[in-house]
Amino acid sequence: MRLVNRDVFSLALLLLLLVGCKQGNDTLFNNPDESKTGIEFTNTITETDDLNILDYLYFYNGGGVAIGDINNDGLPDLFLSGNQVKNRLYLNTGDLKFKDITEKAGVSGNSSWNTGAIMGDINGDGLLDIYVCAVVGINGFNGHNELYINNGDQTFTESAAKYKLDFDTYSSNATLLDYDLDGDLDMYLLNHAVHTQESFGNIDLRNKRNYQTGDKLLRNDNGTFTDVSEEAGIFGGVNGYGLGLAVSDFNMDGYPDIYVGNDFHEDDYYYINNGDGTFSERLKDYFGHTSRFSMGNDVADINQDGWPDLISLDMLPEDEKVLKSSEGDDNIQIQKLRIEKYGYHYQFTRNMLYVNQQDSKYLETALLSGISATDWSWSSLFGDYDQDGIQDLFISNGIPKRPNDLDYINFASSDQIQKKIDNTKLVDQQALDMMPSGNVRNYVFKGQEDLMFEDRSLTWIKNDTLISGATAMGDLDNDGDPDLVVNNINEPISLYINQTNEKASYLKIKLEYKSPNTIGIGSKVYAYNNGNLQFKELYTIRGFQASSEPMVHFGFKDATQIDSVKVVWPDKTVQVLKNVKTNQTVSISYGNTKAFNYESLRHDITLIFNKVDDNIGINFTHEEDRYIDFNRQKLIPFKFSDRGPAVAIGDLNTDGKDDIFFGGSKYIPSKVFLQEDENFSEYKINEIIKDSIKEDVSAIIADFNGDEKDDLYIGSGGADFFSTMQPLTDSYYVNSGADFVKYDLPDFYENASVTVESDYDNDGDLDIFVASNITTNDYGNIPKSYILQNESGKFNLLEIDGLANAGMITDAVWNDYNSDGTLDLIVVGEWMSPKFFKNINGELIEDKSQGLEMNGLWQQIEPFDIDQDGDTDYLLGNWGTNTKFKASDKHPMRMYYSDFDNNGSTETIVCTYKDGAYYPLLGLNELASQIVSIKKRFRTYKSFAGTPIDGLFDKEVIDKATILEVEELRSGYLRNDNGEITFVPFNNVLQVSPITSFLTANLDSDPGDEVLVGGNYFGVTPFHGRFDSFPGALIKNEESIILGNKLGLDFSDKAIRHLNIIKLNSKRYLMATINNDQVQIYEIKN
Amino acid sequence: MKSIKTLFILTVASLSISCSDNSEPIIITPEDYHASVDNLGAVMVHDIFSPPVASRIFAYPNIAAYEIIAQNDSLYNSLQGQIPHLGSIPKADDSKKVNYELAALIAHLDLSRQLIFSEDRITSYRDSLYTIWEDKNAKEFNTSKEYGLKVANFISVWMNDDNYNQTRTMPKFSVEHGNEERWQPTPPSYMDGIEPHWSKIRSFVIDSAAQFKPVPPPEFSMDKNSAFYKELKEVYDISERITEEGDDSEEVLIAQFWDCNPYVSVTRGHLMFATKKITPGAHWIGITKIACRKDNADFAKTVYAYTKTSIGIADAFISCWDEKYRSNLVRPETLINAYFDDEWKPILQTPPFPEYTSGHSVVSGAAATVLTDIFSDNFDFIDDTETPYGLPIRPFSSFKAAAQEAAISRMYGGIHYRAAVEVGIGQGFKVGNLVNERLKMLN
Repeated sequence: MRLVNRDVFSLALLLLLLVGCKQGNDTLFNNPDESKTGIEFTNTITETDDLNILDYLYFYNGGGVAIGDINNDGLPDLFLSGNQVKNRLYLNTGDLKFKDITEKAGVSGNSSWNTGAIMGDINGDGLLDIYVCAVVGINGFNGHNELYINNGDQTFTESAAKYKLDFDTYSSNATLLDYDLDGDLDMYLLNHAVHTQESFGNIDLRNKRNYQTGDKLLRNDNGTFTDVSEEAGIFGGVNGYGLGLAVSDFNMDGYPDIYVGNDFHEDDYYYINNGDGTFSERLKDYFGHTSRFSMGNDVADINQDGWPDLISLDMLPEDEKVLKSSEGDDNIQIQKLRIEKYGYHYQFTRNMLYVNQQDSKYLETALLSGISATDWSWSSLFGDYDQDGIQDLFISNGIPKRPNDLDYINFASSDQIQKKIDNTKLVDQQALDMMPSGNVRNYVFKGQEDLMFEDRSLTWIKNDTLISGATAMGDLDNDGDPDLVVNNINEPISLYINQTNEKASYLKIKLEYKSPNTIGIGSKVYAYNNGNLQFKELYTIRGFQASSEPMVHFGFKDATQIDSVKVVWPDKTVQVLKNVKTNQTVSISYGNTKAFNYESLRHDITLIFNKVDDNIGINFTHEEDRYIDFNRQKLIPFKFSDRGPAVAIGDLNTDGKDDIFFGGSKYIPSKVFLQEDENFSEYKINEIIKDSIKEDVSAIIADFNGDEKDDLYIGSGGADFFSTMQPLTDSYYVNSGADFVKYDLPDFYENASVTVESDYDNDGDLDIFVASNITTNDYGNIPKSYILQNESGKFNLLEIDGLANAGMITDAVWNDYNSDGTLDLIVVGEWMSPKFFKNINGELIEDKSQGLEMNGLWQQIEPFDIDQDGDTDYLLGNWGTNTKFKASDKHPMRMYYSDFDNNGSTETIVCTYKDGAYYPLLGLNELASQIVSIKKRFRTYKSFAGTPIDGLFDKEVIDKATILEVEELRSGYLRNDNGEITFVPFNNVLQVSPITSFLTANLDSDPGDEVLVGGNYFGVTPFHGRFDSFPGALIKNEESIILGNKLGLDFSDKAIRHLNIIKLNSKRYLMATINNDQVQIYEIKN
Repeated sequence: MKSIKTLFILTVASLSISCSDNSEPIIITPEDYHASVDNLGAVMVHDIFSPPVASRIFAYPNIAAYEIIAQNDSLYNSLQGQIPHLGSIPKADDSKKVNYELAALIAHLDLSRQLIFSEDRITSYRDSLYTIWEDKNAKEFNTSKEYGLKVANFISVWMNDDNYNQTRTMPKFSVEHGNEERWQPTPPSYMDGIEPHWSKIRSFVIDSAAQFKPVPPPEFSMDKNSAFYKELKEVYDISERITEEGDDSEEVLIAQFWDCNPYVSVTRGHLMFATKKITPGAHWIGITKIACRKDNADFAKTVYAYTKTSIGIADAFISCWDEKYRSNLVRPETLINAYFDDEWKPILQTPPFPEYTSGHSVVSGAAATVLTDIFSDNFDFIDDTETPYGLPIRPFSSFKAAAQEAAISRMYGGIHYRAAVEVGIGQGFKVGNLVNERLKMLN
């Protein structure tokens, strides 16, 4: 025993050494000591009985940082604001030495509680001034926001009143922008509410202006600032908890737009500049969902398409122990209430990364990109820290006390605090001390290709236990690479000095624009090299309560020279520099400009589809019933009651023209649209309406009885009816010419997921494969799928070995994969691999040589020769990777299925792998809502948090559970290379949502077929969020994928279920059928 | 805390003398039983059990204790047969050597342990008592313990057949969005409706959950002349008036005195905590203790009083919850926010379940009826049950007077309309009367 222990110890030591070495080599930033730099600033927060997190909810938000060259000596200087301590101004004297000139400068400040600090040339004299925000008017805080006008001799004159910027409100930050393009800098002042809103209240609250809490847009009128918020359309209510503030020309029309991140349940604001002095708040038009407790944010072009992308921070912990002992997302009913009754937007607790899709909704990819959970995050700063040409990301973190700790909320507080309650004070210091600390390390991510970020926190920076907040960027040592300054709580500030140095090339650009906007705020800089574009806008106030050095920094790996630099100035003119050497600082002065046309940025639109206003008469809106699967089976990973509607196309009235059948959800009648001469019109078939109790998920229109008239088969499901309840039966209506007559089917009860027809037994009539994806109330149990074998219009029920229990099938296709002239059957589904069934003279036999052992949450399969080599490949729609699910070959996602509490009903527990063990995705409250006994085992959240699944139950309970697995979440295709099958995942834009439909057709002007792809899915709890941002895509071949917004499709925020081509008067239309929404009809332009 | 400290001293004291003599009789007093009930109540507060669940947790340990006492005390009749589904508890192997009071207390402790989450809080309390008893008289203790646990096991098997476990996994309550009349989750936590299937719990005395189905609430209408609207307006008006009068107004004091909310969530920005109090059932269990003490009730009568009262309370919850999820009526807060004042907050935090009828009213009505039967009408007392939660004492002239005040307190608190209170207390009286009528516990 002893020996083993020693071995383990030495192994650990060795590993430690290895890691240590690795860390040493890869360190990107070092942190010089304050004794070397001369910066001795600590934002010390002193809690008192009268002033603590209870009295002021933003007690821990910290101070500000501003970097800028205040004496124009080429070295960026540093200003720091503290909450209760005095501000400090440090002059950069070179070699990372700083001199405290606060007293001489006269900028120490007079407000009780300072917050954000920014620099900018507010009076247009070429000298950087300083503006310091303050919270005034509560808790005895006095003073006002202070404006220090630079006198040019290292002294400043506080002039806020003169400029009418002396606000005594609850300010957290301010930014400078020329919103009206009149040449001077205006201000957006970010304020925050200080009360705790206990009820949601209507969203109209934001329209009731409140001086203290409301944000303000301040127009610069020749040196004094005028509050134009009201006329400009800026909200200023009592429920704005503004913490994040970003300015960018998001829609690339030359006018700066504004994104405001609000904490708590108030929506973030996305102000689009109308160009006439007003803004329109259009969050819901551009964002499917947002971060919930929005904190800092930042803008950068991360995918190098020349359009600004945005990150908004939240507070989702990464660490399993913290995650499971902290308050999580809303439950689904509260979410519904907040959205449907009170009018708020979808918000989820995690960082969000919004990738700009030009004039349509953002693609939100934070989970996929690997940056969704960075704990209690304040500031995010994009920058090319390693100068490889791709934007990296720094995120500052930490909170002294975690006030959302579940043990604190439920236990500590009541047992301990209860006794201390008196009328004047709710909680005393001892009670505050019981909250766990949230001194989480800062994060840094290396930007990668294809929207990915790699966590380099453990190598690029030193692990820390700091409470870090406001962060600013600047080249403090003037060596070309960007350094960072972080303001911490109760610890000295951190300098992160970048050690990239000569290892990679840089270009620093300083802009000299027309006075009064001397530093060119709002300019856009494009750098072109070897066909690569990098794009930046100069807005210095970024991250959180901070402003960075006014410069534009690019990294270029090892390039010594780049092709060109293009500057688009705020006045919509452009100026180009060619063949620019790297590793230098270039000053570009306004001059030799030409007019710039913003329309030229919209060059890559290839509209193929054009939405038809009147839907050519197909006025079908699918209405999903309000059943919430999670109210009954509380632990299932997603819904099954929302997989409809069914769509079938065929000639129902035997007039030679295609008609359309749409399935209704539970209690809602299905609908039929008949094709007439000029359009479609609804036609009621009474026999079908009578069956409206059923949820019709899949349907086929075909001639089943050989009388040359199309009949109708409907597969019903919906996951609500169970056992042998009548509405689970399918329906078969025979077309009598005059009417539809219901025919009997064999007795079988299933939640139909897909029905596909084929004469697989080659007897001249159409047989049907009826697949199922769930056993109601018993998720995890493999449901039965059937073959309905047609004998002269009557069906026999067949359960075929291997096929009947193939899995939770979601899609199936008859396709001759082995080219033997008979149609074989391929099925895909959830928690299973694609399965191939070879058709040998009407016998379907599983062919294990074909598929890959690759369990997924497969949604769709489509045969298509994507590699254009003449054989059939199979496109596979999967769940995607933009999800809290995690799966790989090595560490598959697992679902444990058993009657864990022995009460006669089964449960499922989905677990993912993290640091050596499997943990349930859900927390103690969720598990206990279905398995009460777990509360007896885990009486605190702390004891539960960090317990793997094996520790949650006794061994014999775990041992008797069935484990289902998923190894692959990515959508992609099975590539057939002369019979050799490999899986090739699609690139990341196709992984943002589940892919739920494919359509093969010739849609563009080139000959040959393409595949149109639809997706998105909303049947998950707020824990998972909402898969809403996939805009659809056209796949032409392996290399060419065009996103839907550039094709004219309106698929974002829509749960696409079916894509079909319909013909009216020989003209082809695209029909997109959507769950719980109106059908879309598009003309196809070619 | 204090009692644990005393226990500790007692333990030390008994340890020091135990060696010399191990055969002194173990004397169990009514205070020992009160202490066990109190401890159970405290654990329930910690573990956060909702009012209906708490009522079940009070009842079964008391019944176990009572059935043991009734074995040995001819003044009391077993509930076997009176509660239709309760069989005869096992007899003691050697009845002469069993200390029935001790066995009753041990059974109470053991069922309490089974019913709550934080077992350690019962077992550490139990073990310190066990040490004392074992030191005093190991033989008597062990014989009585064996019997007490045997009965506890018997009751446990019966208890676990009451559909409680099955209701745990039944569907959550589905909120009907878009129907104004129906209950909606309320601020600040917007919790799901709790215990929507409580009517499916096996009752003790009432024949079915719907036996005393109350008249429907006034028909929902926002017409100013409708009865419903007037009741809604009344809640708002009372609230406005007494808020103006201030925290010392009689109505505010009454509302707060009877808050009995096991989980009031408090939010300050990102900071959250819960202030927890006992449930309304526990408040009436507290009144039972006060009455027993005032009456100088002996051990048997004490157990009898707790048992009968807790049965009345448990059935009252089943009856009340049946109606709550039948009428599924919206709380005043939801409508007042929508129609009168979007910033209005009730004096008490609205509990997370439908409005009609008022749980306090039904439970207080039932408990007071049972207690009156045990201790007589016009039994005046001073209620200090909630002093550990920082609330004052209040004197009452009778149990029914206290029940009337508890009922109306919910209107003052801004969380119930008048009908829920007035109909509710009548519903409670009916449950209580049936308990009195059916349970012939005194010989």
